Amino acid sequence: MTRFDDIVDTDGLDPAEELRLRKVHDLLLEAGPPPELPPALREPPSPHPAQVIPFPKLPPRRFGSVAVVAAAAVLAAFAAGYFLGHSKKTTFTAERVVVLHRPNAAGSALATLRIAKADAVGNWPMQLVVRGLPQQRARTAFYELWLTHGGRPVEPCGTFRVHGNDTTVSFTVPYEFHRGDGWVVTSQPSGDTTPGAVVLTT
Amino acid sequence: MLPVASDGELIQRTAGGDRSAFEDLYRRYARSVFGLALRRLGDRGRAEDAVQETFASIWRSAASYRPERGAGAPWLYAVARNAIVDRARTRTDTPADVPDEPSPDVGPAERAELSWVSWRVHRALEELPEREREVIALAYWSGLSQSEVAEFLGIPLGTVKTRTRTALQRLAELLGDEIE
Repeated sequence: MTRFDDIVDTDGLDPAEELRLRKVHDLLLEAGPPPELPPALREPPSPHPAQVIPFPKLPPRRFGSVAVVAAAAVLAAFAAGYFLGHSKKTTFTAERVVVLHRPNAAGSALATLRIAKADAVGNWPMQLVVRGLPQQRARTAFYELWLTHGGRPVEPCGTFRVHGNDTTVSFTVPYEFHRGDGWVVTSQPSGDTTPGAVVLTT
Repeated sequence: MLPVASDGELIQRTAGGDRSAFEDLYRRYARSVFGLALRRLGDRGRAEDAVQETFASIWRSAASYRPERGAGAPWLYAVARNAIVDRARTRTDTPADVPDEPSPDVGPAERAELSWVSWRVHRALEELPEREREVIALAYWSGLSQSEVAEFLGIPLGTVKTRTRTALQRLAELLGDEIE
């Protein structure tokens, strides 16, 4: 550890001044070195407020027959999800409902993500209703809802396990939603906190 | 030479939509906020996000700053702390078993105190002339002796000692009530 007497020449300092400098010395040791700013933070960010994405956001689709099949699948999923999302008797008042379906429209699992109005400080209540996801065998495995940006999971929204056919879970997240955001549900093996395999997506 | 605007003045100008004032605040505080976030979150990526969120929040809420209630630094610290706490809450680790032994980590009160001290010290370091900040960084955090610092910088040992003492005196002025 750096010693005060090794680095400060105290000749000519009165005791009060020396005491002040010793306190500064102690504070420097306590605070530790300031971190270097990473490149991404070298310049001030744009102060313009983020825009909220329009709802519902669906992924872009290719044209042609693939589009027809995919659109039909999405429509079916949305209709089923809408029914699923609105068939529950609940006091949760959703302002938006987002449907999540299997990647590439494969499989029958789906979910609805119901998003209520944010509170005064920006907390968004969410209710996720999941149908058809298999119950995980390992007691420590779980599913996780993520906010995505550009298709990449960037923010965890909450973890859950499923039971029976329908599972309803509630979360609250403080994120702002930006253009290009979406959601995915991943399957998380035991102890893994990085995004796992995507099982449902917007 | 133009007088340097206080933090409070910059916050008030930011509230009026002055982008240059906002950028000045960023240059003054980005490292302090990043250091605070890194200390609290322990992850550089999440700390970067917290810095972005802090300054977005400063831009949005600068109008809520009331100079009669206190200086700008504590207000900025509170905004940063809230953004970092929000970021910390988003972490959803699998629940772990509660340990039987008490944690050796510092408690919330001590951690808050340490965070505030670091915030003040890092902010004060930003105010030092570059050559004094350099000497302090080398003396305290490089592991070099004063002779090695002198050799490294190519300056006499006496100059290193003088700069170190001058820097500490300047920091004492900047930290004011922290060392009373």
